[in-house]
Amino acid sequence: MKDLLLIKDLVIHFETDDGIVEAVNNITLGIKEGQTLGLVGETGAGKTTLAKGIMRLIHKPTGKIKDGEILYKDKDLLKLTEKEMREIRGKHISMIFQDPMTSLNPVMTVGEQIGEVIKAHNRISKKGIEKRTCEMLETVGIPSGRAIEYPHQFSGGMKQRVIIAIALACEPNLLIADEPTTALDVTIQAQVLEMMKSLKTEFNTSMLLITHDLGVVAQNCDFVAIIYAGEIVEYGELRDIFKNPKHPYTIGLFGSIPNLNDNVKRLKPIDGLMPDPMSLPKGCKFNDRCKFAMDICKEKNPEMVLLNNGHKVKCFLMQNNI
Amino acid sequence: MKTKKEILKVNNLKKFFNTPQGMLHAVDDISFTLSEGETLGVVGESGCGKSTMGRAILRLHEPDSGEVIYKGEDILKYSSKQMKKLRTEMQMIFQDPFSSLNPRMTVSQSILEPLLIQGIYKKEDKRSLRIKVKEIMNLVGLADRLVNTYPHELDGGRRQRIGIARALVLNPKLIICDEPVSALDVSIQAQVLNLMQDLQEQLGLTYIFITHDLSVVKHLSSDIVVMYLGQLVEKAPAEKLFANPLHPYTKALLSAIAVPDPDFKADRILLEGELTSPINPKPGCRFAKRCLYAKEECYGNNAGLVEVEKDHFVACCLIDGFINQEKGVKQKQ
Amino acid sequence: MSNNEFVNKGATKNSGEGRTLWEEIRRRFKKNKFAVVSMYFLIFLIALAIVTIVIDIVDNSNIYNNYVIKQNLKDKLREPEFGNPSMIFGCDEFGRSILFRMIWGTRYSLFIGLIAVTVSLITGGLIGSIAGYYGGKIDNTIMRFMDILLAIPYMLLAIAIVSALGPSLINLLISIAIPKIPSYARIVRASVMSIKDLEFIEAGKSAGASDIRTIFKYILPNAMAPVIVQATLGVADAIISISALSYLGLGVQPPLPEWGAMLSAAKTYIRDAWHITVIPGLGIMFTILALNIFGDGLRDALDPKLQH
Repeated sequence: MKDLLLIKDLVIHFETDDGIVEAVNNITLGIKEGQTLGLVGETGAGKTTLAKGIMRLIHKPTGKIKDGEILYKDKDLLKLTEKEMREIRGKHISMIFQDPMTSLNPVMTVGEQIGEVIKAHNRISKKGIEKRTCEMLETVGIPSGRAIEYPHQFSGGMKQRVIIAIALACEPNLLIADEPTTALDVTIQAQVLEMMKSLKTEFNTSMLLITHDLGVVAQNCDFVAIIYAGEIVEYGELRDIFKNPKHPYTIGLFGSIPNLNDNVKRLKPIDGLMPDPMSLPKGCKFNDRCKFAMDICKEKNPEMVLLNNGHKVKCFLMQNNI
Repeated sequence: MKTKKEILKVNNLKKFFNTPQGMLHAVDDISFTLSEGETLGVVGESGCGKSTMGRAILRLHEPDSGEVIYKGEDILKYSSKQMKKLRTEMQMIFQDPFSSLNPRMTVSQSILEPLLIQGIYKKEDKRSLRIKVKEIMNLVGLADRLVNTYPHELDGGRRQRIGIARALVLNPKLIICDEPVSALDVSIQAQVLNLMQDLQEQLGLTYIFITHDLSVVKHLSSDIVVMYLGQLVEKAPAEKLFANPLHPYTKALLSAIAVPDPDFKADRILLEGELTSPINPKPGCRFAKRCLYAKEECYGNNAGLVEVEKDHFVACCLIDGFINQEKGVKQKQ
Repeated sequence: MSNNEFVNKGATKNSGEGRTLWEEIRRRFKKNKFAVVSMYFLIFLIALAIVTIVIDIVDNSNIYNNYVIKQNLKDKLREPEFGNPSMIFGCDEFGRSILFRMIWGTRYSLFIGLIAVTVSLITGGLIGSIAGYYGGKIDNTIMRFMDILLAIPYMLLAIAIVSALGPSLINLLISIAIPKIPSYARIVRASVMSIKDLEFIEAGKSAGASDIRTIFKYILPNAMAPVIVQATLGVADAIISISALSYLGLGVQPPLPEWGAMLSAAKTYIRDAWHITVIPGLGIMFTILALNIFGDGLRDALDPKLQH
């Protein structure tokens, strides 16, 4: 299957007074048409930076895309002008941010906010915009009569639905969802994820689902990429990653989560903390926390090794097996 | 088997708030008991009142009625002088590692502050204070070199450890933990949960563990109560609750949890509607509006907790029907 | 398994240097060159004022009497001469060296401004803390009084107070301080309200902290940031007010060398001797400018801290 979006060797740094923050370090990643890629990582791993990098919304002037290409349908997004990029945003690639409470403009009605996106990318009449707005609201499960209401009149889950409506209003090919349900309650999270799944099927949208919740990944994704200290350390099909994780960090992550179905007496967390992106260690970024660290891990950064079935792992342990 | 001593008994606790939209029944007639050394998990989503209940027990919010009987005495009747002394026995660990620490105080200042408030040490006893702070920091796994750092220099996990150290410094017996790991990353959550477990064993602590994350609470609790819109809907020992959830809300809650296993086919019970607030609640079951099994009688009846099997309480007027249904199914098999 | 297993691994942001927020703020402030220059200018003025006070004590006001106050009619309206140091600003209508008068005048504007602002700040701060912390009826009553004070135009109130009490230095101070109290009360109240519900305040209460301890030890130190900026700008305001009142004859009385009063006395000679208006005028202008730039720089330095 073809890659809708292909990120190649992307490097993003933030140049601050305290030093250089190496947020994204040589990431190569592809998202296939109609598929959902789960990007899993903890705070500070670089997932939001990566997402914003794709949308070219990196914070200026400190944030700089130092290297790499982002190929959307074979066109490099990094080479587009700002005007051309605006055509892409909302129409081809949409993004949902993490906090529904602050993502909506409090002084515009939800109908107006959905309408804005439609107007920006389509030449249709005011009536046409209204019609489409009502359609989108119904699609996300909100009665269209509520289009005249303001964000503060909606609950958290409802706000997130509005945000999804805005994101999908122009039927984009790729939806980037940055922790879309983390701020929501469990039962509401279930509702919203169900809805996103059905919308994805209806519109055949690809999705980059960023989350730290392995449960959400398991129920919603086709492929999984694990990100650590700005690098992809493992990538593969859903079942491969869950049944057969190879990278010590991935294995560690699975050991940390309390599982409803196991009777674990004590969790097995990973020692230590993710390294400070301003002073990343030499060699493999995970080496100071890794149980299996060898001498070479402290010196050199491993290359991505391709195992069967498209399963890739960035670890010297894999090279020994092959 | 040694029967554990009862340390806390809460009877008919109520806390209401007057809002412009009406009277908010945040905590509406809550009762439970807790034995020494155990952990009570309090589970619920936003607006269920679990955090308010935790604070009401500590009298950080003054309850409107009910009894909180700690070691045999109703602390709601205590004078402010008695309360100040009681504070050394009951402490709280807060949710947000960012706002739960005073940004102007160093790690050691934050940890030692309760000792100064209670007059156990004076500011001049520098040597004893230094020894005490190192002792506690060691206990929670904070490096000595962090003594003079400020919260903004540290990550969430370390800040939460400071919060735990601060709660422990007065040697309390009961600690109310309000979502202590919700704001932390998964692997840090695991570290902190393990720490809390270890401390419980080492120091004989009793916990009330408030959370919305059922998987965390299964791991840690002896008993669990489920709250919805200010009321308890189910109460049972942890294994019983997970093995046999009876209240429709508990069932929905459990099924909503995203299980990290791609082969697991959830019997998803998707609830309709949203989480509202218990403002001017009508009589009758507060869950009926969203309940898949709701019948006429549910809207009139607000059944309290009823013991359905040993130690397993449910607040649902249709519960007998469910149990008979299950028995019927089992008989047919 | 010891609880120390995680102790030495991983990094903290500045490896635990114990960099306080104040040090962060200083560092950011230093980046704003204008603000730094302004700060040094203000320090220079304050130093000058202190030096003059010391000199007066030490030499028993000798210089003061002979150079600042003593009239020297033969030098009346003498133009500035760059060669002669004491004549660098020329002489005023009484032949007094303007340079000396400017230097000896620094204490009035700056000090009175600072003291007046401090008084307003402390009073307004106390009122605002109590209103913000307790809320409800206490808040309402207090703030309505503040609203009444605010409703009266600032200058009118100042003039009324000074006229009623008589034009002395202390009364000048009072008349500048009082109208400003409501502004500080409002700012502190807003700050206190936003802080009092934070969890670390609850943590203090759950350890048994009293209300007083909570307000003074926990809330106020965290509430001071917006107030500090307002205070520096407030000093600028106070200086303008002192000058205005002196211009109207209600402030500092002659022969005291307050810059505003010097400006006022010179208005009749504007056409003949530019220096006796322009010099004090520039003095006032640069001081206010420095205070404003310094205040802005402080505000910018304080803001990013909130983005942590």
